[in-house]
Amino acid sequence: MMVKCVIWDLDNTLLSGVYLETAARPPAPDPAMLAVLRQLSARGIIHAIATRNPPEAARYAAAVTGLDFAAAESGWGRKSDAVRRIITDLGLGPDAVAFVDDDLYERAEVSLAVPEALVLSPEDMAEAVGWPEFSPATVTAEGARRGELYAQRRRRQEEARAFAGSRDEFLRYCGTRVAIGPAADADAPRLHELSVRTHQFNTTGEAMAEAELRALIASPAHQVATVRLSDRFGDDGLVGGCVSHRGPGPGWTVTLLMMSCRALGRGVIEALLAWLARSAARDGAQELVVPCLVTPRNVPLRLALAASGFRAPEDTGTAERPRVARFARTLSGPPPPLPGWVTAPGEP
Amino acid sequence: MSVVSAGVVGELRQILVQATGREELLDTSDQTPLFGAGVGLDSLSGVMLLREVHRRFGVDVAAEDLNLDALATLATLAAFIEERAG
Repeated sequence: MMVKCVIWDLDNTLLSGVYLETAARPPAPDPAMLAVLRQLSARGIIHAIATRNPPEAARYAAAVTGLDFAAAESGWGRKSDAVRRIITDLGLGPDAVAFVDDDLYERAEVSLAVPEALVLSPEDMAEAVGWPEFSPATVTAEGARRGELYAQRRRRQEEARAFAGSRDEFLRYCGTRVAIGPAADADAPRLHELSVRTHQFNTTGEAMAEAELRALIASPAHQVATVRLSDRFGDDGLVGGCVSHRGPGPGWTVTLLMMSCRALGRGVIEALLAWLARSAARDGAQELVVPCLVTPRNVPLRLALAASGFRAPEDTGTAERPRVARFARTLSGPPPPLPGWVTAPGEP
Repeated sequence: MSVVSAGVVGELRQILVQATGREELLDTSDQTPLFGAGVGLDSLSGVMLLREVHRRFGVDVAAEDLNLDALATLATLAAFIEERAG
């Protein structure tokens, strides 16, 4: 089904920041999303806004992008209700709209309430311009492949909803394969891309340049690992990575940890944290340290750290501004188990 | 620790079922660990749970609890909420 209208979230999606936090000098449009917006407009696809902001935020977005939005829903209700109102106002079918939001909760909420809609993260949206749903005339092989990935994800989600059992049972049922391995020079572009696009699972919140990644991959003092994910529904390729090194003292430090949100709920981040703890312990380390920027956006990462036994001292800064907390996990005692579907260096 | 009302725990149990999509978690004891085997709270279900708690009780657990210790069990989460919601 062709998408006729894209419904955009504003904060940290179409705008490169939060409108109300900086209302005196509102954030500029996100350059990647602005490019997508213009490309899709040129193909005749219309746009709408669904935002938890006062109406002036939508007017600001229209002015700053130079685009007419066909509809704008502003307010603090459920995003799915805003999406439904836009669908009704514009006289569209629910399967003719896409919804883009950086927040995984909002995406999950809209997916459940309007299952026919195409629900995308900004990371997905940057690629989706090449999908058949957005570009009947100009589909490339790569675009078609990535569109297929999304279809696979939807089939997996549908089965997950119908599946009775724990998450691990579902992952086994799917034939999940998580492959952790040493990064090669050729992985640098994708790792750079992940450092730019991941927010909910990213410990630093900063892009890492390809050149820096190449240097770290070549450095004998650092370990750069990649994570690849596949199951019987499809192959997601390289979905995550991390950079770590020995020290300080008898510990190991992970200076960057990141994962695509398309791997969410599939045991990937947990597998990576468990493998890091196991390899550091094998190396004789007594502690695994993961310094992590604390922001409202990477709460999913903090949940994964908490679930994997990491703790940070509470006295680091204030709740108002982002700060780096030193999450650490002791390596005394038995190492965390690694599920059977994970293959990794040093593991049988 | 304050005495936690069964009402809050019951409501949290409902939210947990909604967040995980697993009906069988209606039997979760208020002392069952939420992380790890059993409930197996993960990033997605955890975020759903935290948002719904924020919406219904007005308590932003993630902003106030760096280590998310409140998510140890339904009892600790209920206590955390009752302490703040007053």
